[in-house]
Amino acid sequence: MDTLQHGRYSVHYELAGPDHGPTIVLVNGLTQYSALWTPYRSALAEHGYRVISFDLLGQGQSDKPSLFIEQDDQVAILRELIDAIGRPPVFLAGISFGGIIALRYAIEHGATLAGLVAMSTFAELSPQLQLIGNALRNGLILGGIEYLQDLLLPMNVSDAWLNDRLDQLDEIKRPGWLVNDLYALQNLMESFLDFQPLTPRLGEIGVPTMILNGEFDFLTPRSLHETLRTHIPHSALVIVPRGYHAFTLEQPRLTAWLLARFAQDVLGGSWEGGGSIWLAPAQEGGTLIRFPSGFDHLRAVPMRTGQHSAGAKRAPTGAKRPHK
Amino acid sequence: MRTTLGPLDASGRVPAQQQTRVASFLISAHGAEARLLAGALSSSVLTLVPGVVQVGLQTQLCREAEVLTLLQGATRWQPDPMLLWLLPRWELAWLPQPVAGIGIDQSLAFDAAAFGFALHTAIRPAVLLPREATPTDGFAAALRQIELEGSRTVQPQLRFLKSPALAALRPAISQAVERRHAQLRTLWAEMLAGIGIAIAS
Repeated sequence: MDTLQHGRYSVHYELAGPDHGPTIVLVNGLTQYSALWTPYRSALAEHGYRVISFDLLGQGQSDKPSLFIEQDDQVAILRELIDAIGRPPVFLAGISFGGIIALRYAIEHGATLAGLVAMSTFAELSPQLQLIGNALRNGLILGGIEYLQDLLLPMNVSDAWLNDRLDQLDEIKRPGWLVNDLYALQNLMESFLDFQPLTPRLGEIGVPTMILNGEFDFLTPRSLHETLRTHIPHSALVIVPRGYHAFTLEQPRLTAWLLARFAQDVLGGSWEGGGSIWLAPAQEGGTLIRFPSGFDHLRAVPMRTGQHSAGAKRAPTGAKRPHK
Repeated sequence: MRTTLGPLDASGRVPAQQQTRVASFLISAHGAEARLLAGALSSSVLTLVPGVVQVGLQTQLCREAEVLTLLQGATRWQPDPMLLWLLPRWELAWLPQPVAGIGIDQSLAFDAAAFGFALHTAIRPAVLLPREATPTDGFAAALRQIELEGSRTVQPQLRFLKSPALAALRPAISQAVERRHAQLRTLWAEMLAGIGIAIAS
């Protein structure tokens, strides 16, 4: 097992692909573990990328501090990992909780990156997200890891995905139940208790940034990604069709292709950021379509920008509407 | 070496020898936690934390008794001579341990909380059950119940150990918790190895 030593803690990581760059580093969501990136390691390695996935402190096979886990430590570990086994140019991709760590890393150590991919993530806790987070934490405390999994699974993936696996859900959940420990998940969730919004610092992210948001993600909806799009200078928002919060689990081939294409565009100098908004193709290899001009990408129905503007007042702090 | 209890008998139950060894360990540890808590509840340090924490610790004392009676009733016991050696070893390990740099009265309260926190989080009895275990078997149900209740049971300890009022003592508290975690994990792994089950310690 490959480990990185951070102080007295061991951090488990997995490495695939060639010895030399470019490197793509993948950062887990809250209840994820490194093995869930297996399809990405093989797909991206085939494209010539060096791929690093790892378990954050408190997750999977990494050490689990008993009482406190600081997000600063997670960022520091990421820095040590990239310094130790990353080969430039380095692209960093994080989902949900891991997206926060990736955003913080890009703010503090952006010079070490060639590009950033923020997936299903946020820069500040909206009231909805705060309340959902509290409910999930209480669910964990009252019902254990299995109950948390039961709450998260239907939020994370589509009916179509679930429908094909209804008789396998126990087997799907079991590895996560075995590898995660309740107190460590609780510590990870409580690392948000003193969370300060990242929005004021998003402008410091100087690298090309692709923001991926599932079309139907109601855990971290479009408005939260809009804050990222409007504040990160060289960003573009890419909407993943029919995607939910964990589209990385449900659509790994498409997402791996989007990551590889992003890195390729950045390295080839053809990355178009500028706050642009795109629709990803339904499958890998398809064409990204620019979001139709004049329509409001924050709405679930095809409304023209400026119509029913009362909705704009409900956007979270920092979100600017409409898009260009 | 296996990673779960078993092989199960024809009716899907865990062998009596494994039930005896696992239940003995858990009864020894939860009994010790009850004794440690009983002592800690009179500690002066509890006046520094909100009253709700004291109420929670009091509730936990009762829950520890619940674990003991649950296991006593649900386990299929059989004679196990190894317990003559193991039980004194475990009981010695559970004795109160002072926390460096903190007075004895407060120290015992921290140690009781650290031990209880480690017991309910580092020890996960339900993950030992193979998927084929009969869900209606009393022993299997008891292990699941202990693990499930652990998440709730441990909250008063967490609130106590993480209390902002005790922030200045945080390094010593963290050290005590890590020590109890390591101790319990090691002894749990050793006990399981003795019945043919390998887990990471």
